[in-house]
Amino acid sequence: MRAISLAAIAVFCVAFTAADARAADRPSVVIQGGGEQKFAVALQKFGGNFDAEAYRESMVDALEFSSLFRLIDRKAFLGPATTEVLSERDEVGCLEWSTIGADIFVEGVQRLEQEQFIAEFAVWDLAGCQRKLNRRYRQAASADPLMLARRMADDIVEVLTGVRGVASTELTFVSKRDGNPEIFVMNADGSNQRAATANRSINNFPTWSPSGDSIIYTSYRSENRPMLYLSTRGRGKPGRILAPLSSNPLYRAVYHPNGRELAVVMSPKGSAEIYRVDLAGKNPRNLTRSRAIDVSPSWSPDGDRLAFVSDRSGSPQIYLMDSDGANVRRLTFNGNYNTNPAWSPDGRWIAYQGRVGGQFDIWLIDPEGSVNLPLISHPRSDESPCWSPDSRKIAFSSTRRGSAEIYVIDSSGENLRRLTRSSGDDTSPAWGPFPR
Amino acid sequence: MTGTEELFIQLGELRRHELRRLIAISFAAHLVVVAMFGFSPESRISVPRGVVAVELVQAPAVARPAPPAPVAKPAPPKPAPPVPKKVVLPAEPTTPKVKPKPVKPVEKPAPTPAPAENLEDALAQLRDEIGEEAPPTEIAKAAPAAAGPLGSPDGVPISPEVAAWIKKTKIHVKNNWILQPGFRNEVLETHVEVDLDASGGVRGTPRISRRSGNPYYDESVVRAIQKSSPLPAPPEAGKWNFVFQPEDYY
Repeated sequence: MRAISLAAIAVFCVAFTAADARAADRPSVVIQGGGEQKFAVALQKFGGNFDAEAYRESMVDALEFSSLFRLIDRKAFLGPATTEVLSERDEVGCLEWSTIGADIFVEGVQRLEQEQFIAEFAVWDLAGCQRKLNRRYRQAASADPLMLARRMADDIVEVLTGVRGVASTELTFVSKRDGNPEIFVMNADGSNQRAATANRSINNFPTWSPSGDSIIYTSYRSENRPMLYLSTRGRGKPGRILAPLSSNPLYRAVYHPNGRELAVVMSPKGSAEIYRVDLAGKNPRNLTRSRAIDVSPSWSPDGDRLAFVSDRSGSPQIYLMDSDGANVRRLTFNGNYNTNPAWSPDGRWIAYQGRVGGQFDIWLIDPEGSVNLPLISHPRSDESPCWSPDSRKIAFSSTRRGSAEIYVIDSSGENLRRLTRSSGDDTSPAWGPFPR
Repeated sequence: MTGTEELFIQLGELRRHELRRLIAISFAAHLVVVAMFGFSPESRISVPRGVVAVELVQAPAVARPAPPAPVAKPAPPKPAPPVPKKVVLPAEPTTPKVKPKPVKPVEKPAPTPAPAENLEDALAQLRDEIGEEAPPTEIAKAAPAAAGPLGSPDGVPISPEVAAWIKKTKIHVKNNWILQPGFRNEVLETHVEVDLDASGGVRGTPRISRRSGNPYYDESVVRAIQKSSPLPAPPEAGKWNFVFQPEDYY
């Protein structure tokens, strides 16, 4: 018996080795570059007692916002257009969905139940007929169900690419739609624009805390001079911050990625310098010490370095320095006016606005300075770039339609989308983090 | 105009104020020196006191909030102006135009395969293609030079039949490969062993023989093979090796 078993194993090994050798002996088929950039998605309407059509529309918008999907028209469906119950593997009908050209099939159910809204969905990879994700969400009935639809779309992006989508994130920006510049917040697709301040003063430079719970901004609301304020989402105390430093004009603050410190622009002696302070405004450390104007700090994602703007060379240019102010290095040498650097969350790029002719364009440069290219070029000005938390998109303000509005574009330079359409200028966008 | 630009202008004005102040001080100091020349040297000490007095001038400039400016942009570049002048923009909107791509060029559609006149033509086309764009894969590098670009690993030349099948298969699989833009400039390479039946159908699950290091990239490769089934009928049923690279890899 033992001899027979050994013989069987030996035969198996020889056969296996022969097959392997056969594959290795043949020439390889080398495929370079995919022919498709987008997944074709068949998305069913989620059956349930909430407005299923509105829920599906929100998911469609969010999936398209990612630039990674194209939705298959429901008229082409061979299977049902609405999910009644989630499928098991032997009943999902992968072949039917593949036949109409779908790569991904998404089904789901939802219901409002007493004080809760519950939604569950599944994502199927049709090529291997494999369920990639099955997740259930539960939230208070008072919360916005459509934000949950965006969150599910972001989940789909993540399960297929490894990085979450950003449809459920938010942006803050400055708007003069009511006359004076106030701080506003909106969803990443431009929906639900609402004011965060209404003090009838001048407000500018909003930036998010790493947790997304609060926004720091500059305001002239008190004593008609620039000071820093906090707007919160119900957690923490809103109002004026960095009181120990308030004898100086405070122009701008950005959170360190650790959330416990800030880089602050202030001008104690007339010329703006960048300081590093804790949230209480104590232990200020002077990071720049030049007679030049040093402004616009932007942390690297690891918090070890800062990009900033200085005119120490005679014109505003982008510089880098370590988080303690050491190793200052000029990064941009093109043009004579480069400002507003924004370090991408993946650390690979620094977006900035560079003056070309009479207007600004958005440029990208890597932190080594070896690649420096325009992302967008337009006869009108594109300014104040900021990155989405997945580093796939850049929001910026542009005067291409007259007054300044907020736009978003993929970091590849494709899929331009206008987010605001207000009567007054909308400027200084800052993209919030992934929701928790 | 951005807030940063406003800040630059504001601080630039402040600096000019300071410059004017220093020039005024310097001028006054020289006057004093000239006027007092030959008198008591202690009188020169009064100059620094003037600095303290004049310093108050800058306070209003610092505290002045940036005015709600009209849509403005800097003047055309001058030799090296630290602060640009403002010019009023025409209000007329223009048609938006996004400049074509910087970092990651738009993916070009796969070229439509020109039908080869015969197998020899197909072979010649494939030679040209490989000669121009074939990357130095392990297998290609392993092929003896005498075998040429179409040599199999053991140095045996590829038959025209195999060459034609490879050409058709490359186009077929490429069209079914969804490569998200984020992967296009990455250094990634995945090798997959695919078991094909005589009609080109994929038997079982493709086996990754060399991973790229990015599981989502590897997954996209397996998905491409599965979606491509059936492939063009191979010259021989059995296992074939596929190598997947993003565009612009080399």
